[in-house]
Amino acid sequence: MIMDLKQFKENLLLYGADVHRWPEEIRNAGLEALKNSSEFRFLVDEEAKFERILKSRKYEEPDSYLERRIISVALQIKKNPPSSLGTFLLELLAEFRLPRPALIALSVLIIGFTIGFLDPIASAPTEQDPTTLQAFLYYEEEIP
Amino acid sequence: MGFNLSHLDDESLILQIKEGKHQAFEEIVNRHAKRFYSLAYRLVFNREEAEDIVQDAFLKLWNKPELWDSRKRVKFTTWFYRVVTNLCIDHNKKKKPVPLSDKTPIRHEQPGQDVLLDHQQKQVLLDNLIRELPERQQLAINLCFYEGLSNEEAAEIMGVKVKVLQSLIMRAKMTLKEKIKPYLD
Repeated sequence: MIMDLKQFKENLLLYGADVHRWPEEIRNAGLEALKNSSEFRFLVDEEAKFERILKSRKYEEPDSYLERRIISVALQIKKNPPSSLGTFLLELLAEFRLPRPALIALSVLIIGFTIGFLDPIASAPTEQDPTTLQAFLYYEEEIP
Repeated sequence: MGFNLSHLDDESLILQIKEGKHQAFEEIVNRHAKRFYSLAYRLVFNREEAEDIVQDAFLKLWNKPELWDSRKRVKFTTWFYRVVTNLCIDHNKKKKPVPLSDKTPIRHEQPGQDVLLDHQQKQVLLDNLIRELPERQQLAINLCFYEGLSNEEAAEIMGVKVKVLQSLIMRAKMTLKEKIKPYLD
Protein backbone atom coordinates (compact mmCIF):
# COMPACT_ATOMS: atom_id res chain seq x y z
CA MET A 1 0.00 0.00 0.00
CA ILE A 2 1.38 3.41 -0.97
CA MET A 3 0.50 6.34 1.22
CA ASP A 4 -0.04 9.67 -0.49
CA LEU A 5 0.67 13.08 1.00
CA LYS A 6 -2.93 13.73 2.05
CA GLN A 7 -3.23 10.42 3.87
CA PHE A 8 0.16 10.93 5.47
CA LYS A 9 -0.81 14.37 6.80
CA GLU A 10 -4.08 12.98 8.19
CA ASN A 11 -2.31 10.13 9.92
CA LEU A 12 0.23 12.54 11.39
CA LEU A 13 -2.60 14.50 12.97
CA LEU A 14 -4.37 11.39 14.18
CA TYR A 15 -1.52 9.23 15.41
CA GLY A 16 1.32 11.68 16.00
CA ALA A 17 4.88 12.28 14.81
CA ASP A 18 6.23 8.91 15.92
CA VAL A 19 5.40 6.83 12.88
CA HIS A 20 6.67 3.69 14.65
CA ARG A 21 3.68 3.98 16.97
CA TRP A 22 1.05 4.24 14.27
CA PRO A 23 -1.52 1.41 14.07
CA GLU A 24 -0.01 -1.74 12.64
CA GLU A 25 -2.09 -1.71 9.46
CA ILE A 26 -0.71 1.66 8.29
CA ARG A 27 2.69 1.69 10.01
CA ASN A 28 4.74 0.07 7.27
CA ALA A 29 3.21 2.23 4.55
CA GLY A 30 3.97 5.29 6.66
CA LEU A 31 7.58 4.28 7.27
CA GLU A 32 8.06 3.47 3.60
CA ALA A 33 6.69 6.86 2.56
CA LEU A 34 8.93 8.56 5.11
CA LYS A 35 12.02 6.78 3.82
CA ASN A 36 11.44 7.91 0.27
CA SER A 37 10.45 11.54 0.65
CA SER A 38 12.16 14.53 2.22
CA GLU A 39 8.82 16.36 2.14
CA PHE A 40 7.32 13.69 4.41
CA ARG A 41 10.33 13.93 6.74
CA PHE A 42 9.83 17.70 6.94
CA LEU A 43 6.18 17.16 7.87
CA VAL A 44 7.19 14.75 10.63
CA ASP A 45 9.69 17.26 12.03
CA GLU A 46 7.05 19.98 12.03
CA GLU A 47 4.56 17.70 13.76
CA ALA A 48 7.15 16.74 16.39
CA LYS A 49 7.80 20.42 17.06
CA PHE A 50 4.08 21.07 17.41
CA GLU A 51 3.71 18.13 19.79
CA ARG A 52 6.56 19.42 21.97
CA ILE A 53 4.66 22.68 22.32
CA LEU A 54 1.44 20.85 23.21
CA LYS A 55 3.35 18.77 25.77
CA SER A 56 4.69 21.92 27.40
CA ARG A 57 1.17 22.65 28.61
CA LYS A 58 0.99 23.45 32.31
CA TYR A 59 0.24 20.50 34.55
CA GLU A 60 0.07 20.43 38.33
CA GLU A 61 0.46 17.15 40.16
CA PRO A 62 -2.37 16.35 42.58
CA ASP A 63 -1.88 16.55 46.32
CA SER A 64 0.10 13.51 47.44
CA TYR A 65 -2.70 12.70 49.89
CA LEU A 66 -5.44 12.68 47.25
CA GLU A 67 -6.02 8.92 47.39
CA ARG A 68 -5.91 8.85 51.19
CA ARG A 69 -8.37 11.74 51.36
CA ILE A 70 -10.87 10.02 49.06
CA ILE A 71 -10.59 6.75 50.98
CA SER A 72 -11.06 8.37 54.38
CA VAL A 73 -14.09 10.41 53.22
CA ALA A 74 -15.66 7.23 51.85
CA LEU A 75 -15.02 5.46 55.16
CA GLN A 76 -17.00 8.12 56.98
CA ILE A 77 -19.99 7.58 54.75
CA LYS A 78 -22.27 4.86 55.95
CA LYS A 79 -22.78 2.45 53.12
CA ASN A 80 -26.41 2.27 52.03
CA PRO A 81 -27.87 -1.17 52.71
CA PRO A 82 -29.46 -2.95 49.79
CA SER A 83 -32.85 -1.38 49.36
CA SER A 84 -35.91 -3.26 50.61
CA LEU A 85 -39.49 -2.88 49.42
CA GLY A 86 -40.14 -0.39 52.24
CA THR A 87 -37.10 1.71 51.32
CA PHE A 88 -38.13 1.58 47.69
CA LEU A 89 -41.61 2.86 48.52
CA LEU A 90 -40.23 5.59 50.75
CA GLU A 91 -37.82 6.69 48.03
CA LEU A 92 -40.69 6.64 45.56
CA LEU A 93 -42.84 8.84 47.80
CA ALA A 94 -39.96 11.22 48.36
CA GLU A 95 -39.42 11.37 44.62
CA PHE A 96 -42.97 12.47 43.85
CA ARG A 97 -43.27 14.88 46.81
CA LEU A 98 -47.01 14.34 47.28
CA PRO A 99 -49.06 16.61 49.56
CA ARG A 100 -49.69 15.28 53.07
CA PRO A 101 -53.37 14.13 52.61
CA ALA A 102 -52.43 12.27 49.45
CA LEU A 103 -49.50 10.69 51.26
CA ILE A 104 -51.77 9.52 54.11
CA ALA A 105 -54.34 8.12 51.68
CA LEU A 106 -51.63 6.35 49.74
CA SER A 107 -50.09 4.95 52.94
CA VAL A 108 -53.48 3.61 54.07
CA LEU A 109 -53.96 1.99 50.69
CA ILE A 110 -50.50 0.42 50.79
CA ILE A 111 -51.06 -0.85 54.36
CA GLY A 112 -54.46 -2.22 53.32
CA PHE A 113 -53.00 -4.04 50.35
CA THR A 114 -50.14 -5.32 52.46
CA ILE A 115 -52.51 -6.72 55.10
CA GLY A 116 -54.64 -8.23 52.35
CA PHE A 117 -51.68 -9.98 50.81
CA LEU A 118 -50.11 -11.05 54.11
CA ASP A 119 -53.33 -12.45 55.56
CA PRO A 120 -54.79 -14.60 52.82
CA ILE A 121 -56.76 -16.76 55.29
CA ALA A 122 -59.03 -13.87 56.20
CA SER A 123 -59.84 -13.08 52.60
CA ALA A 124 -59.87 -16.53 50.97
CA PRO A 125 -62.94 -18.77 51.08
CA THR A 126 -62.86 -21.08 54.08
CA GLU A 127 -64.26 -24.52 54.62
CA GLN A 128 -67.35 -23.01 56.21
CA ASP A 129 -68.63 -21.77 52.89
CA PRO A 130 -69.74 -25.14 51.45
CA THR A 131 -71.50 -25.92 54.70
CA THR A 132 -73.38 -22.66 54.56
CA LEU A 133 -74.32 -23.32 50.98
CA GLN A 134 -75.49 -26.81 51.82
CA ALA A 135 -77.58 -25.43 54.67
CA PHE A 136 -79.03 -22.86 52.35
CA LEU A 137 -79.91 -25.49 49.74
CA TYR A 138 -81.37 -27.70 52.42
CA TYR A 139 -83.45 -24.80 53.65
CA GLU A 140 -84.65 -24.11 50.08
CA GLU A 141 -85.85 -27.69 49.77
CA GLU A 142 -87.97 -27.17 52.83
CA ILE A 143 -90.00 -24.62 51.01
CA PRO A 144 -93.13 -26.18 49.73
CA MET B 1 -4.51 -6.44 58.56
CA GLY B 2 -4.77 -5.72 54.86
CA PHE B 3 -5.50 -8.07 51.99
CA ASN B 4 -3.61 -7.74 48.78
CA LEU B 5 -6.16 -7.19 46.05
CA SER B 6 -3.72 -5.99 43.40
CA HIS B 7 -4.11 -9.23 41.45
CA LEU B 8 -7.81 -8.57 40.86
CA ASP B 9 -8.99 -6.74 37.77
CA ASP B 10 -11.14 -3.62 38.04
CA GLU B 11 -14.37 -5.41 37.28
CA SER B 12 -13.83 -7.95 40.09
CA LEU B 13 -13.06 -5.12 42.48
CA ILE B 14 -16.32 -3.39 41.59
CA LEU B 15 -18.20 -6.59 42.39
CA GLN B 16 -16.57 -6.52 45.83
CA ILE B 17 -17.42 -2.84 46.24
CA LYS B 18 -21.04 -3.77 45.52
CA GLU B 19 -20.79 -6.06 48.55
CA GLY B 20 -19.58 -3.11 50.61
CA LYS B 21 -15.92 -4.14 50.82
CA HIS B 22 -13.95 -1.02 51.54
CA GLN B 23 -10.60 -2.60 50.75
CA ALA B 24 -11.68 -3.15 47.17
CA PHE B 25 -12.61 0.52 47.02
CA GLU B 26 -9.17 1.47 48.40
CA GLU B 27 -7.49 -0.63 45.75
CA ILE B 28 -9.42 0.97 42.92
CA VAL B 29 -8.78 4.49 44.23
CA ASN B 30 -5.05 3.82 44.60
CA ARG B 31 -4.95 2.26 41.17
CA HIS B 32 -6.74 4.97 39.21
CA ALA B 33 -7.07 8.28 41.10
CA LYS B 34 -4.08 9.91 39.39
CA ARG B 35 -5.12 9.10 35.86
CA PHE B 36 -8.63 10.45 36.38
CA TYR B 37 -7.22 13.50 38.12
CA SER B 38 -5.06 14.10 35.07
CA LEU B 39 -8.07 14.27 32.76
CA ALA B 40 -10.09 16.36 35.23
CA TYR B 41 -7.21 18.82 35.62
CA ARG B 42 -6.93 19.26 31.88
CA LEU B 43 -10.67 19.85 31.59
CA VAL B 44 -11.13 22.29 34.47
CA PHE B 45 -7.63 23.90 34.49
CA ASN B 46 -7.42 23.96 38.27
CA ARG B 47 -5.79 21.55 40.73
CA GLU B 48 -8.18 21.84 43.70
CA GLU B 49 -11.27 21.69 41.53
CA ALA B 50 -9.93 18.66 39.68
CA GLU B 51 -9.21 16.91 42.97
CA ASP B 52 -12.72 17.62 44.24
CA ILE B 53 -14.25 16.28 41.03
CA VAL B 54 -12.24 13.06 41.23
CA GLN B 55 -13.25 12.68 44.86
CA ASP B 56 -16.93 13.19 43.98
CA ALA B 57 -16.67 10.63 41.21
CA PHE B 58 -15.15 7.99 43.49
CA LEU B 59 -17.70 8.69 46.22
CA LYS B 60 -20.45 8.16 43.68
CA LEU B 61 -18.87 4.81 42.92
CA TRP B 62 -18.70 3.95 46.61
CA ASN B 63 -22.31 4.96 47.26
CA LYS B 64 -23.81 3.51 44.11
CA PRO B 65 -21.51 0.90 42.59
CA GLU B 66 -24.51 -0.58 40.82
CA LEU B 67 -24.34 2.38 38.42
CA TRP B 68 -21.61 0.43 36.65
CA ASP B 69 -23.47 -2.36 34.95
CA SER B 70 -21.26 -5.33 34.14
CA ARG B 71 -23.87 -6.66 31.72
CA LYS B 72 -23.24 -3.73 29.39
CA ARG B 73 -19.70 -5.03 28.87
CA VAL B 74 -18.11 -1.60 29.21
CA LYS B 75 -14.69 -1.52 30.85
CA PHE B 76 -14.70 0.12 34.27
CA THR B 77 -12.15 2.76 33.21
CA THR B 78 -14.14 3.65 30.09
CA TRP B 79 -17.27 4.10 32.15
CA PHE B 80 -15.45 6.05 34.86
CA TYR B 81 -13.80 8.38 32.32
CA ARG B 82 -17.36 9.19 31.25
CA VAL B 83 -18.39 9.88 34.85
CA VAL B 84 -15.42 12.20 35.42
CA THR B 85 -15.90 13.93 32.06
CA ASN B 86 -19.57 14.61 32.77
CA LEU B 87 -18.76 16.00 36.21
CA CYS B 88 -16.14 18.29 34.64
CA ILE B 89 -18.53 19.51 31.96
CA ASP B 90 -21.23 20.23 34.57
CA HIS B 91 -18.63 21.98 36.73
CA ASN B 92 -17.48 24.18 33.85
CA LYS B 93 -21.06 25.10 32.99
CA LYS B 94 -21.71 26.25 36.55
CA LYS B 95 -18.46 28.16 36.75
CA LYS B 96 -18.35 31.79 35.67
CA PRO B 97 -16.17 32.43 32.61
CA VAL B 98 -12.57 32.72 33.75
CA PRO B 99 -11.15 36.18 33.09
CA LEU B 100 -7.90 36.18 31.19
CA SER B 101 -5.07 36.49 33.69
CA ASP B 102 -2.61 39.36 33.65
CA LYS B 103 -0.03 36.98 32.28
CA THR B 104 -2.16 36.15 29.28
CA PRO B 105 -0.49 37.24 26.09
CA ILE B 106 -3.50 38.74 24.38
CA ARG B 107 -1.31 39.73 21.48
CA HIS B 108 -2.25 36.45 19.84
CA GLU B 109 -5.32 38.25 18.56
CA GLN B 110 -3.12 40.14 16.14
CA PRO B 111 -2.48 37.71 13.31
CA GLY B 112 0.77 37.81 11.45
CA GLN B 113 2.71 39.33 14.31
CA ASP B 114 5.57 37.07 15.40
CA VAL B 115 5.98 37.25 19.11
CA LEU B 116 8.48 35.31 21.17
CA LEU B 117 7.12 34.32 24.52
CA ASP B 118 8.78 32.93 27.60
CA HIS B 119 7.90 29.44 28.81
CA GLN B 120 5.25 30.52 31.29
CA GLN B 121 3.56 32.78 28.78
CA LYS B 122 3.50 29.95 26.28
CA GLN B 123 1.80 27.72 28.85
CA VAL B 124 -0.86 30.31 29.56
CA LEU B 125 -1.37 30.92 25.86
CA LEU B 126 -1.70 27.22 25.17
CA ASP B 127 -4.23 26.79 27.95
CA ASN B 128 -6.27 29.65 26.59
CA LEU B 129 -6.16 28.33 23.04
CA ILE B 130 -7.31 24.91 24.20
CA ARG B 131 -10.03 26.50 26.33
CA GLU B 132 -11.28 28.31 23.23
CA LEU B 133 -11.80 25.05 21.35
CA PRO B 134 -15.32 23.62 21.19
CA GLU B 135 -16.01 21.28 24.12
CA ARG B 136 -15.91 18.06 22.08
CA GLN B 137 -12.66 18.98 20.36
CA GLN B 138 -11.11 19.75 23.76
CA LEU B 139 -12.22 16.41 25.09
CA ALA B 140 -10.98 14.52 22.04
CA ILE B 141 -7.52 16.04 22.19
CA ASN B 142 -7.31 15.56 25.95
CA LEU B 143 -8.25 11.89 25.77
CA CYS B 144 -6.12 10.97 22.77
CA PHE B 145 -3.12 13.25 22.99
CA TYR B 146 -2.71 13.98 26.69
CA GLU B 147 -4.16 10.78 28.18
CA GLY B 148 -2.75 8.59 25.41
CA LEU B 149 -5.96 6.62 24.85
CA SER B 150 -6.62 4.89 21.57
CA ASN B 151 -9.05 6.49 19.15
CA GLU B 152 -11.43 3.58 19.71
CA GLU B 153 -11.47 3.96 23.49
CA ALA B 154 -11.80 7.75 23.32
CA ALA B 155 -14.70 7.35 20.89
CA GLU B 156 -16.40 4.93 23.27
CA ILE B 157 -15.96 7.33 26.19
CA MET B 158 -17.42 10.19 24.18
CA GLY B 159 -20.19 8.03 22.77
CA VAL B 160 -19.31 8.83 19.15
CA LYS B 161 -18.10 6.82 16.17
CA VAL B 162 -14.35 6.54 15.62
CA LYS B 163 -14.58 8.58 12.42
CA VAL B 164 -16.28 11.42 14.30
CA LEU B 165 -13.63 11.30 17.00
CA GLN B 166 -10.87 11.42 14.39
CA SER B 167 -12.47 14.39 12.72
CA LEU B 168 -12.62 16.18 16.10
CA ILE B 169 -8.91 15.51 16.74
CA MET B 170 -7.91 16.75 13.31
CA ARG B 171 -9.94 19.93 13.59
CA ALA B 172 -8.62 20.63 17.09
CA LYS B 173 -5.00 20.14 16.06
CA MET B 174 -5.34 22.19 12.88
CA THR B 175 -6.91 25.07 14.82
CA LEU B 176 -4.20 24.95 17.45
CA LYS B 177 -1.43 24.77 14.84
CA GLU B 178 -2.83 27.77 13.07
CA LYS B 179 -3.09 29.81 16.25
CA ILE B 180 0.27 28.77 17.66
CA LYS B 181 2.17 29.43 14.43
CA PRO B 182 2.96 33.09 15.15
CA TYR B 183 4.62 32.14 18.43
CA LEU B 184 6.88 29.38 17.16
CA ASP B 185 10.58 30.08 17.66
